[in-house]
Amino acid sequence: MKLRFSASDEAFRVEVANWLRDNLCGEFESIRFRGGPGDEHSFVEERKAWERKLGEAGWTCIGWPQAWGGRAASIEQQVVFNEEYARAGGPGRIGHIGETLMGPTLIAYGSEAQKVKYLPAIRSGDAIWCQGYSEPSAGSDLANVKTKAVFDEQAQVWHITGQKVWTSLAHESQYCFVVARTDPQAKGHKGLGFFMLDMDQPGVTIRPIEQLTGTSEFNEVFFDSAVCSADDIVGKPGEGWQVAMALLGFERGVSTLGQQMLFQNEFNDIVQLAKRNGADRDPMLRQRIAEAHIGLRLMRYNTLRVLSGSDQGELQAEGMIYKLYWSSWHRNLGKLAMDVMGADSEILEAEPYALNRLQSMFLFTRADTIYGGTNQIQRNLIAERALGMPREPRGNNE
Amino acid sequence: MNFTFNDDQLLFRDSVRDLLSNEVTAERIRQRWDSDSGVDSAALQSLVDLGLTAALVPEEQGGLGLNTVDFILIAEECGRAALPEPIVDSCLVATPMLVDADRALEGSDSRLGELLQAIASGDQTVLCGPSINPYINFAHSADYLLLPHGNEVHLVAIDAVQLELQTSVDLSRRLSKVSWQPRSETCIARGEMGADLWRSTLNRGALANAAQLLGLSEAMVARSVQFATDREQFGRPIGVNQAVKHLLADCAVKAEFAKPAIYRAAYTVAVAPTRADWSVSHAKASAGDAARAASRNCTQVHGAMGYTWECDLHIWMKRAWTLDREWGDAGFHKNRIHEWLLQPNALLGPQYTFGRRHLGDAVNPTIAV
Ligand SMILES: Cc1cc2nc3c(=O)[nH]c(=O)nc-3n(C[C@H](O)[C@H](O)[C@H](O)COP(=O)(O)OP(=O)(O)OC[C@H]3O[C@@H](n4cnc5c(N)ncnc54)[C@H](O)[C@@H]3O)c2cc1C
Repeated sequence: MKLRFSASDEAFRVEVANWLRDNLCGEFESIRFRGGPGDEHSFVEERKAWERKLGEAGWTCIGWPQAWGGRAASIEQQVVFNEEYARAGGPGRIGHIGETLMGPTLIAYGSEAQKVKYLPAIRSGDAIWCQGYSEPSAGSDLANVKTKAVFDEQAQVWHITGQKVWTSLAHESQYCFVVARTDPQAKGHKGLGFFMLDMDQPGVTIRPIEQLTGTSEFNEVFFDSAVCSADDIVGKPGEGWQVAMALLGFERGVSTLGQQMLFQNEFNDIVQLAKRNGADRDPMLRQRIAEAHIGLRLMRYNTLRVLSGSDQGELQAEGMIYKLYWSSWHRNLGKLAMDVMGADSEILEAEPYALNRLQSMFLFTRADTIYGGTNQIQRNLIAERALGMPREPRGNNE
Repeated sequence: MNFTFNDDQLLFRDSVRDLLSNEVTAERIRQRWDSDSGVDSAALQSLVDLGLTAALVPEEQGGLGLNTVDFILIAEECGRAALPEPIVDSCLVATPMLVDADRALEGSDSRLGELLQAIASGDQTVLCGPSINPYINFAHSADYLLLPHGNEVHLVAIDAVQLELQTSVDLSRRLSKVSWQPRSETCIARGEMGADLWRSTLNRGALANAAQLLGLSEAMVARSVQFATDREQFGRPIGVNQAVKHLLADCAVKAEFAKPAIYRAAYTVAVAPTRADWSVSHAKASAGDAARAASRNCTQVHGAMGYTWECDLHIWMKRAWTLDREWGDAGFHKNRIHEWLLQPNALLGPQYTFGRRHLGDAVNPTIAV
């Protein structure tokens, strides 16, 4: 155990901080502290430009191997980067699905040709990806995917037909990774494929879904014989479930560091507000602010503790526990923000429905306990997989 | 000792519930969001026809002469329907304030009696803006406002105030910030009398919101039970899962236990509104707790669907969010409870659970009314 950063990590910190100071300004001044949880829909074009800016300077995908344009940054360096990024008010990363989910999955499971085709554009910040898992009948029961993939021998392409739903940022993405059924006879986890699909084609229709925030960040996506080349399936037909699950493992890994830094910024905003509006004199709110701080620090320590023991930057059993902890913590933070705001928490900034950042954060935290595996599903996983308790019958589709 | 409602009270409740479930649908609530006034005049007229505006006006003034206990189930129904119009604010809060003022003045100010008659017939509306609420909901739709200036109570015609409209997270609400100048001719009460009126009004307002929060909670749970029965995952209704059942069962328990607190507070407000602080705070804290749990858990049960604008759940969820804060938030009401409890001469024994014996005791404000 050694709970401090090395001299070279501190030098790296200075390098990151200087770069951000010199570059997160001018045309990018307006997006500082924007695009975080509940604010994903805002400043999309500016944030895409920012991704490319980061990419040019080698500040995307810093944990990736050097062979794929990364810096092979150590966990410590990634921690430092995320700390400095948040401190500088770095905007929500619109490229995060590519960088933290698709990229690592390809590096681990993709073919050489796939890596060459897709990784550079993720690294440079040019390609935005979205996640096509959920369907109307496949939410918690993700394996109940009905979207079909049919192989056309002659043309050597897959035809994808079906519907995805709740697809975040689909309308801003060039690519979508899609879980679809390659074997029409198979049920559940079997007979699935994992496809990388170009969104810019006639077979793809995207319809935004309005959220209770009045904004749209997620979509319905319809595939009508959308074309996917034979080379764009990760793993073999039938191995889609394994790839899809491996990808979720990365979701719980090192990518959580950046998220915690955003939480830290939100927490600081709430404390500042409490000091300004006098909520800091309320003994009950003071206790809740202390609780929030304790939870936030626990999450940091625990992530660092667990990452210290892993080479890949992936979390194992502990990772399952993390989603439940942060989503519940964040939901409480959202309520705390509203209680600190007081009577004005119900007043909008402008018509027709412009929420301020804390208000949208509060509402968004109600989704945190749902997406990426609901709290109920997480508890089942912890009890059954981490603790080894007897399995609850899941129903017909097992 | 009898906690039950009589047949008349239940019949009144049933007819209001029937009317609201037909006339105040989610679809019609959404239509109000797009209108300027935010009022559905047809629905409002039906409620007037049922006698809601006349309910708490004395018979001498053309009213039904009912009291808070008679109206508490109606307030609950208005919450259940997420009724946008401020019927509960006007009928259960502002009207009794006027009635109290008229009584205290022994009818000497003829304006009050005339106004009460117009309220009973549904021709005029009065709302009040106590200092605890920075905004008045639907002020623009009222004819008069009851406004505080220190302890004074002013009855001010709507064209004598300036309204600054605000947009609420709950589009059914139409909040205004009110600016106005107190004048001697608008002042209807001052000093002790004014203070008593505001004290009763705070209790009535908090009670009114508690009852609506209860209705909102039960409505959210009912919708979620339906959703959990219809929505299938893993080849069976999601409601089969214990985790889903428990989310809703917890809400049902909280709502059920908020009921006696609300009914007890309604009783106390009916007999001694200036000394109902403790029981009203108990009701508001319990109902708020139930509503916060229902908002959280019912969204959870709906999954991603519950996070959409299209799903009606947020109509109820956002109303609960706002009513929980209005007329004193959870912290305000818990403070009133502990300040009362921790006084050196607080009467805490079991014999004080219901403080009827002490009702006439005006000297000691710590009695367990
Ligand atoms: C803001 C947001 C963004 C999203 N972005 C994406 C995206 O980019 N890509 C994508 O593919 N998906 C996305 N999703 C979808 C998300 O992954 C699903 O919402 C989630 O998997 C839950 O599925 P569901 O909404 O269908 O809820 P359901 O599965 O219908 O669940 C409803 C309720 O039942 C409970 N439940 C269901 N089954 C069980 C069980 N066996 N045991 C106990 N409880 C159970 C759940 O916990 C929940 O409370 C997003 C969702 C949200 C809210």
